[in-house]
Amino acid sequence: MALRELSSLERFLGLKKPNKYSTQGGKKVPVLQNNNGPALIGLVTIASHLVHEAKRAELLGDSAEQRAVVQQWIEHRITRLDNCSKEEVKVILKELNQYLEDKVYLAGNIFTLADILMYYGIHHIVVELAILEKERYLNVTRWFDHIQHYPGIRHHLPPVVVLRNRVYPNGHH
Amino acid sequence: MKLYISEGNPHCIKALAVLELTGVKCDIEVISHEEKVVPHLSRPVSPALLLPSGTHLFSPNSICQYLYDVSGQAATDATSQWLEWEATNLQPAVLQSLHMVALQGKRVEAAAVMKEPLNWLEQSLSKRSTAFLTAEVMSVADVVLWAALYPLLSDTSFEAGELVRCWFGRVDSLSACRAAAHRILQGNEALKTFLQKHTASLSPRRDAPANT
Repeated sequence: MALRELSSLERFLGLKKPNKYSTQGGKKVPVLQNNNGPALIGLVTIASHLVHEAKRAELLGDSAEQRAVVQQWIEHRITRLDNCSKEEVKVILKELNQYLEDKVYLAGNIFTLADILMYYGIHHIVVELAILEKERYLNVTRWFDHIQHYPGIRHHLPPVVVLRNRVYPNGHH
Repeated sequence: MKLYISEGNPHCIKALAVLELTGVKCDIEVISHEEKVVPHLSRPVSPALLLPSGTHLFSPNSICQYLYDVSGQAATDATSQWLEWEATNLQPAVLQSLHMVALQGKRVEAAAVMKEPLNWLEQSLSKRSTAFLTAEVMSVADVVLWAALYPLLSDTSFEAGELVRCWFGRVDSLSACRAAAHRILQGNEALKTFLQKHTASLSPRRDAPANT
């Protein structure tokens, strides 16, 4: 799972040479062997490293505050969303829905690594949502649809159909 | 800027220690375990940092990294790797271990839960020649890991490797760290209250270590 995300991220970032990854432990934590130093371990660490390698530091946020917000949502994904129980999913969706009420992206008005990794991590949940639930978590659905249509993001994941005529009742967004 | 903390919550130790170590100017407000300060979260969380823009940070490690960032020490691959490990590997084990030792008095079981993460830390330290985790000077990684381990390792009889003990002692000897730990964990009762409330509000994760 994490390895496919990382290879999709590499392609989005336009990194020419794909990296070789291995995994570690029962949780299959990704490991990147690095010629210039010690191996890097962990999805967030490797993803942030790739962003720097591609000279796209703005994807980690332009200010200390944005960097913290990006960091926080990525951490939220790996600590709370990944492997969470069915009951917990509802809480996470509800909270995310409220958070996104007045925001285009997780860090506000700019697209960041937080959107990419959250999208990859939440995809299997949004795929399973019934129409009514998609309506209930309207802001999450809107954000999700936005990210899946962002150029170069979707790669290894199938598109999820959201009912645009109900999500956007006035036919524009 | 305002930092919200609550007594007995070990996560607040790191935020408070980092605030003191970085010297960032910030108000501190002590809240109860029931008080909600982050509008979009359905459960009360602490620590939380209210930023000048009105945004709330609700992740302890992001708060710590932010305070280091504004004082001129940006994240590196090494610091972010330790923070990620702390959040994904160390924290679940610490919480389970603390629960056993503080609420159930199961010391042997509590030590067993910590064996794997403490071994990993010991091994990592054995591969380095620096005084701290990422360099000769302390970084955000040292404070975050020290604070996570504090409730367990402040008991000197808790089983841990020699290098872990040395490193822990180096961070622990700083007055900023000591003061933060004492302020949050005055006596065992505050920690117990936190643990009882915390575990009651969390449904078990699918990857939670088996409770043997």
